Amino acid sequence: MSITSDILRGHTDAIILAHLLEQDSYGYQINKDIMKKTDNKYELKEATLYSAFKRLEQAGCIRTYWGDETVGARRRYYAVTEEGRKAYQIYKREWEEAKAMIDQLIK
Amino acid sequence: MIEKIRKHFNELFADAPKTRKAMEMKEEMIQNSTEKYQDLLGEGYSEEDAYENVIGSIGDVTELFEDLEEKNLLNLSEKDRKKKAVLTSAAVGMYIFAGCVFFLCQMLDGVWRTRWDFSTLALVLAAICCIPPTCMLVYASNMYPDYKKKEEENMVEQYKESKHTSNREKAIKGSVSTIIWTLVIVLYFLISFASSAWYITWVIFLIGGCVQAVFELLYSLKRGD
Repeated sequence: MSITSDILRGHTDAIILAHLLEQDSYGYQINKDIMKKTDNKYELKEATLYSAFKRLEQAGCIRTYWGDETVGARRRYYAVTEEGRKAYQIYKREWEEAKAMIDQLIK
Repeated sequence: MIEKIRKHFNELFADAPKTRKAMEMKEEMIQNSTEKYQDLLGEGYSEEDAYENVIGSIGDVTELFEDLEEKNLLNLSEKDRKKKAVLTSAAVGMYIFAGCVFFLCQMLDGVWRTRWDFSTLALVLAAICCIPPTCMLVYASNMYPDYKKKEEENMVEQYKESKHTSNREKAIKGSVSTIIWTLVIVLYFLISFASSAWYITWVIFLIGGCVQAVFELLYSLKRGD
């Protein structure tokens, strides 16, 4: 399990980008969806999520905007930029390569 | 319980820099955690368990603080400080040199009677020698870098900035009074030697004081706009 979570943590940025490509989202929603997708097996820590947001924002991969909630507190939404799309494609290609290589090496 | 979550975050963020960005991040995380807490209650968790779960999924927040820190731009860099020290001491040296030139010429005037008017020459030479050090002092006192405003605005920033402005103000005032008093001294000797009216020319110093007061008044009026 520790290898799994290490690998997952190493790909936080790509996981978030992939998720935001589907739809704009906010902090808790992203984490909730990740849990749903992994059958409650994986949940990002708040700090991990936000340090990834910070990195991605600095790299120009995501942008933020305020939602227009009519009830409750306003939420900050995150969306992928054109830069982010490119970064995601690179991530994905690299991951496919690494996956194929690791499969070859430890089968 | 939600208050307890908020309190927990306040403690976690106690060491965080007090910037708007850090505060917003904290609020956002509190919002997420509160929402999660309520969802867990809906799933049948007890209040205590839900709280523990929420706190457990925060993780290590200190890594978030690193880039939120702001550098203190107020202090001059080591290089600039050295440059300033060199400029100031060189300027003082040149003033002393100017004084020496003046007295030397005066002495020559006393011992060496020629058709040259050494006392006037002394004055002119000394005045010329005063120009470069004055320029150097003015330059050195304006060396504070322009304060670059960062995206994160907050109280600390504003305080720093106002302090910085007052430093600049002091620098400008210092430069102007240096110029005024150098001119006053030069004028005093020029007029005195030219007119030989030593008994009255000291009034120039009073005028110099007035000029400085007027300048300061005008300056603070302008700042008040």
